[in-house]
Amino acid sequence: MRSREPRPADFLPLTPAVLHILLALADGEQHGYAIAQAVEALTEGTVRMGPGTLYGSIGRMVAGGLIEESIRPRGRAADDDRRRFYRMTALGRRVLESETERLARVVALARTKNVLRRPEPA
Amino acid sequence: MRAVDQVFELILRLYPTAFRRQYGDEMRAFVRARLAEPRYAPPWGRLRLVSHLVADGVAGAVRQQLAARVSFSSPSGATPGRQSPLPDNEPPEELMPTLVHDARYAVRTLRRRPAFTIVSAITLALGIGATAAIFGVIDSMLFRPLRYPAPEQIVMVSMTRGGSLREAPAYPDFLDWREQSRSFQSLAATRTQSVNLTGRETPERLSGNFVSASLLSLLGAEPLAGRLFAYDETEVGTASPVAVISEGLWRRRFGADPATVGSVIVLNGQPFTVIGIVPSTFAFFGGTEVYLPITYYPNNGGLTRKDHSMAVVGRLRPGVTLASADAEMRAIATRLAEQFPVENAGSGAHVESLHTLLVGDIRAPLYIVMGAVTLLLLIACANVANLQLSHAVARRREMSVRSALGAGRGRLARQLLTESTILSALGGLLGVAVAYGGVGLLIKIIPIDLTFFSPIRVDGRVMAFAALVSIVTGIVFGLAPALHASRTNLNDALSTRAGGLAGRVRGIEMRGVFVVVQLALSIVLLIGAGLLSRTLVKLQQVDLGFDPSNLLTMEFRLPAAKYSQPRQISDFFTRAIAEIRSVPGVRSAALVRAVPLSGNSDARAYAVGGAAEPEKGRAPILQLNTVSSGYFRTIGVPLVSGRDVNEHDDADAPPVVVVNETFARREWPNASALGHRIRFVDSDRWLTVVGVARDAKHFGPADQPTPQAYIPYMQAPQIFTSVVVRANLEANALGPLVREAIWRVDRDQPVWKIRTMDSLVANTLGSKRVLLALVGAFASVALLLAGVGIFGVMSFAVTQRTHEVGVRMALGASGGEVLRLIVGQGLRLTSVALLLGLGAALGATRLIASQLFGVTPSDPVTFATVPLVLCAVAALACYLPARRASRLDPLTALRRE
Repeated sequence: MRSREPRPADFLPLTPAVLHILLALADGEQHGYAIAQAVEALTEGTVRMGPGTLYGSIGRMVAGGLIEESIRPRGRAADDDRRRFYRMTALGRRVLESETERLARVVALARTKNVLRRPEPA
Repeated sequence: MRAVDQVFELILRLYPTAFRRQYGDEMRAFVRARLAEPRYAPPWGRLRLVSHLVADGVAGAVRQQLAARVSFSSPSGATPGRQSPLPDNEPPEELMPTLVHDARYAVRTLRRRPAFTIVSAITLALGIGATAAIFGVIDSMLFRPLRYPAPEQIVMVSMTRGGSLREAPAYPDFLDWREQSRSFQSLAATRTQSVNLTGRETPERLSGNFVSASLLSLLGAEPLAGRLFAYDETEVGTASPVAVISEGLWRRRFGADPATVGSVIVLNGQPFTVIGIVPSTFAFFGGTEVYLPITYYPNNGGLTRKDHSMAVVGRLRPGVTLASADAEMRAIATRLAEQFPVENAGSGAHVESLHTLLVGDIRAPLYIVMGAVTLLLLIACANVANLQLSHAVARRREMSVRSALGAGRGRLARQLLTESTILSALGGLLGVAVAYGGVGLLIKIIPIDLTFFSPIRVDGRVMAFAALVSIVTGIVFGLAPALHASRTNLNDALSTRAGGLAGRVRGIEMRGVFVVVQLALSIVLLIGAGLLSRTLVKLQQVDLGFDPSNLLTMEFRLPAAKYSQPRQISDFFTRAIAEIRSVPGVRSAALVRAVPLSGNSDARAYAVGGAAEPEKGRAPILQLNTVSSGYFRTIGVPLVSGRDVNEHDDADAPPVVVVNETFARREWPNASALGHRIRFVDSDRWLTVVGVARDAKHFGPADQPTPQAYIPYMQAPQIFTSVVVRANLEANALGPLVREAIWRVDRDQPVWKIRTMDSLVANTLGSKRVLLALVGAFASVALLLAGVGIFGVMSFAVTQRTHEVGVRMALGASGGEVLRLIVGQGLRLTSVALLLGLGAALGATRLIASQLFGVTPSDPVTFATVPLVLCAVAALACYLPARRASRLDPLTALRRE
């Protein structure tokens, strides 16, 4: 019983896991392990997701319509036993944009309050 | 790699089926990919990965379980207000910082409740420690290789005869086997027998092992000093009088003198040169102190094909299987049976691994003890879960407030799980200490020769086992309270009547379940202990056929070199017996080859005069003993008819024999046995039956009636003998006097194994006793824990029902009625537990049937008594809180609301 289309704002704020999965999928579709690898690379190793966190989040995101399973891309299928690839939906992309904007506003606000350390001059 | 996969499979089980079906394969693939990463390759990395997988997996599972429950509950479960489109949306958080936070909070909480924490930790420590200690024993005996190099290649080769697979071969059999077989790198003969050490201040009996040279090398012994036997030194014809001694003997008897190697010592009256010392880390068959060439094995028959007394140890060639070695040996034995129809007819050969042979009889009792201790651990878990639950109910306010402040259900559940995990870790740490003590105790009490096995100790494996048990334990007893807390209803909890009715009832229900589980498991343990103790009683009640009280026994052996003629031996015996009988306090004394219950025995195939000659290899077997005059009177075996052997039955008189009733009934069912003749199939001498004695147990109370025969010492003198002495009073005190009496005849006699018959009787019950002691101890602790459990629940229920009781009493209920109400509630729980427990016990006791004697696994006495004991304990545990309720002042009770 869905009375209205979900709006991106309904999802905010995102949990770090969800945010990072969306970021990892921004470049295109990926399978679960690659998502975890990408997140770890993007965050320079500070966010390391285990299978429980990853697939728990994926399950919720699929249910929420932020991502969807995709048909396995041609060419790299044959010897790859990970069968499920995920890609961001249009809704997912809008949610990611909204969250990033929200965070940007938070950062901007923090700057005006002088709580953000300036980057060291190079 | 497989271990990690297995751990992860366990974690996956925690997830809801639907989730597992959808993502399980993906998650497995994920873990495999992780395992392939180089950073997780070293052991430390593996450990990190596993701990991460466990933390991540369990937290995720709890979350999915909660999500599943929410989605299945009624729509009214939805909270009003904004509903997140992401189901089970939790406050943003990262796992590790949360864990650290949860852990800090948990430690604070536990420290605020020291009594609860200490009681829980000790309960868990006992459970975990006992389980780990038993695991340590089982690990050493069953799971780890024996302590020799490449132990899987070491086998025992036995002779088969009749239905028996483990008969001793004769030395010539061994020689033929060794020459004809191709399956073994080497094959060695060994025969343990005590050795007299003389020529020094006091004669001493050493535990000796007569071996062929390859025994020590095939078992991987390395000399501490000197060398081991050379091949020729132990072979017939080329043997030389050399000995290898143990480090223990070297230190004890020779003061660790380096000059011992090369020196000459007198063994069995003959000089031997010590050529080497084996270190105490090497052991085979108990504490062998001296190894001698097999050719010096002193026995009557020499190393003939008739003398079946060898044990044969072999080391398989690499790549040869047990089955193929067994097949080869059977073929060889078949050929030998045709070649030597007199001695080898009907015999075969059997190869089995040394490990299998050693653990064959102890596997069942070990598993029984492990099962019992596991039940105890589960009971301890249930107890702590109960304590946790009572606190969870008491902590509803705290949980509600945290919930109102925005903590999700999962978060609260995780908090409680963290607490229980920390508690179980504490229990595990203390448990390791318990395991240390337990292993030390077990090594002392288990009546098993441990020298073959890798040492039993609390090592990495036992620690790892304890750690695993702790983690599982923490989850087992933490999950229920966690799930319970996660279902806390915010409105109920915060309403003015703190602790709403619904939650309260659910809490009690859940605790009731735990109490029922505890009681039911205790019943299983109690019934097991009951059956074992009935077994022990039955064994003690068995009529041994002789009178064991005030009987002293001891063994001694004459040096063969000094007593080479039968006449010399009989003269010595006659004089020794006369000396012993003159000792004050001795009522009677006699000699016997194999004292009943001592473990010594002899068996012979026989033929009966006048009957058809038995088929080769099919002759019936009797249990043979050699006795002096006065034996039957001394040991208290009554003669049914005929006469005892006496002084006139000597080498010049016609050979005689006394048989037992079973023998007489079997061979001459319709006539008197007296006057009939029998002979042993390997001899031409006919023996005339002159007496019939009552049956006497020889190995233990569980012996089946067997044909037994007794022949007089004077007609079959042997250098090895035992003395039995019937004392007027306390037998123990006579030991030194009797030994002095023997020494008055000849000083060069070590006398050993001075034991009372009572202690021999106790020995035969040894392993059963230990089994009962362990299972009984576990059962007692279980009963105590179960009693405490039901007491706790009933006390709690009474506190919770104070208001209700107040109302009832205000409306006219008497104290007695209230008492009945509360006790009735407790006994309802107990009766449910009884049904479950007795049902489970009926199944479980089948597993211990092999250890029972004289009782059936469903013994009605035990199954009737145990429920009574349990009901009594439960009634007491319920009565105490119920009495408190019945004495409530209605006014006070009502005011408390």
